[in-house]
Amino acid sequence: MSIVLFRIDERLIHGQVVIGWGHQLRPDRYAVVDDDLADSAWEQDLYRLGAGTADVVFATTEDARGRLSEWRDDPLRTILLTRDVTTMGRLGAGGMLAGDRVNLGGLHHGPGRRELLTYLHLTAEDEDHLVKLAAEGVEVSAHDLPDAHRVPLETLLEG
Amino acid sequence: MELALVALLGGVLALDGTSVGQFMLSRPVVAGALTGWMLGDPALGLLIGTLLELYLLVSFPSGGARFPEGTTATVVAVATAVASDTAGALPIAIAVGLLWGQVGGFSITALRKANGFIVPEPADSRADSARVATAHLGAVGLDFLRGALITGTGVAIGRMLVARVGASWPLGQRESLALILVGGAVSVGILLHDLGGFRHRRVLFAAGFALGIVGVRFL
Amino acid sequence: MSALSRRAVTSTFLRSFLVQGSWNYHTMLGTGFAWAMLPGLRRIFEGDPEGLDASVRRHLDHFNAHPYLANVALGAALRLEADGTDEQTVRRFKTAVRGPLGGLGDSLVWAAWLPTVSMAALTLWWLGLPVWLVVGLFLVVYNAGHLALRIWGFRIGLRDGRDVALTLSEARLAQLGERIKSIAALLVGVLAGVVLAGREGLSDAGPLWIVPAVVCFAAGLKIGHRAWRPAAVATVTAIALIAWWGVLL
Repeated sequence: MSIVLFRIDERLIHGQVVIGWGHQLRPDRYAVVDDDLADSAWEQDLYRLGAGTADVVFATTEDARGRLSEWRDDPLRTILLTRDVTTMGRLGAGGMLAGDRVNLGGLHHGPGRRELLTYLHLTAEDEDHLVKLAAEGVEVSAHDLPDAHRVPLETLLEG
Repeated sequence: MELALVALLGGVLALDGTSVGQFMLSRPVVAGALTGWMLGDPALGLLIGTLLELYLLVSFPSGGARFPEGTTATVVAVATAVASDTAGALPIAIAVGLLWGQVGGFSITALRKANGFIVPEPADSRADSARVATAHLGAVGLDFLRGALITGTGVAIGRMLVARVGASWPLGQRESLALILVGGAVSVGILLHDLGGFRHRRVLFAAGFALGIVGVRFL
Repeated sequence: MSALSRRAVTSTFLRSFLVQGSWNYHTMLGTGFAWAMLPGLRRIFEGDPEGLDASVRRHLDHFNAHPYLANVALGAALRLEADGTDEQTVRRFKTAVRGPLGGLGDSLVWAAWLPTVSMAALTLWWLGLPVWLVVGLFLVVYNAGHLALRIWGFRIGLRDGRDVALTLSEARLAQLGERIKSIAALLVGVLAGVVLAGREGLSDAGPLWIVPAVVCFAAGLKIGHRAWRPAAVATVTAIALIAWWGVLL
């Protein structure tokens, strides 16, 4: 299994991911799943700037669902990123991510969002998506950096 | 009067840390020398600045992380040491500086939280250029006051301490300095860790080490 | 430079030095970014107060980057606004550019340039240079790099706007940072040698002091940043205990 991390982080490829997680997991590739970014070359060029020597691929959600097993079987190590909960929810719909662990990184303050942790603000809809993912066998937790404390979804939603 | 001037200097230099410029006037080497100049002993100022810089080599304001504030710490340490010509002045000043660096760090975090209530909400339809300017410059002003306040209280406490225990300090000048350098060695190690670790950097490190020892012996 | 005057551009550049002035956990540099944009925006939206307010509001949004490289985003945002770019594109540009600018700036400036120039200054002090020279050299050398980065960043942003990524990647800032880090590694060695053997150094106080210093250095090297706070606490505690012992004597 060569997708070494599934992460939801609105900043996508940035310091916490590249340095914090990257130094530990040594990814060869970042797969960014996002319908808008998949056909926007100028934005892709900007995100690539932060990835260092790792390869960066962009895919729509539909496309990514088709390529999940290819990435899993690939010897190259992939970190898969989405910038919102909805995309990860759609990616995993129908048990596609069953048995995987999804990591919630930075989702910042905004209208309609409830603060669960300093770096984590979710809408009610986000929470529904995550509960559904968990029900389909995905282990969801908040974990901004490898050294930091990991908070499982149940604990998050109780608080 | 002197206390007020030192506090003022601390406030101004602290601004350079985050709010205004980042010309690194806020680094201990510079802040130490400047405080020393103001109080009539630049050499002592730079000595303290150098020692604290050694500790704070690996501390910088990246992202939202909390970091010890070297600026106010250095101004406090220099103003503490200058006030006493006892053997304990230097080590006690360094200890007060290191401690006050943490206090400064907490005050920065507190201000950043408070600023969250001052700045206009992006979604607020009443936010206009005038409000943006007021909030922004107000926050800069608060940071200055924070720096001055932290410096002023630190100097008052530091000077009180050094007056009480400075004279009875049992170690000599050289031993005191060595004690401080031993603690600082940790930071030098951390820096090499950050630069890729010993195995990766051993050739450059060894070359530099030899160069340093030879240079010091022959210059 | 369609709607922008030289004065408005200069004014925004000067304001960029205060971009972190209202750092907060809510929007980070958001307010500072909008404030720095104001002179340019006033010029672009001359006679259109509603357009101005709307633009100010979109720039208030969450933004974070290294303070020097934030100038790339400021310059580019001015260009986009001057060209009448739609709101969505402006937002998407700032969202995409903040991560790389933060990462590149941290690794180039905070992790490479600053410690390198700092260590050079410390070494000069241990070699016995006069105070004004140590401080003067530190400030001049450091700020030559600092100001060059700010000016360059602002100019490429202003010139390239949305498509600044190409210029940024061709500048190979990450590789430059790696080269500076090699110099830094050499300087760590120099500094260790000078502290050990120099005037007011460890060997002055007796060879016994070298042992704990090497142990502390090795601990920092092995553990990394988590060793910093315990080391500081230990130093403060040691000094406090010795002072107390002195009082008891």
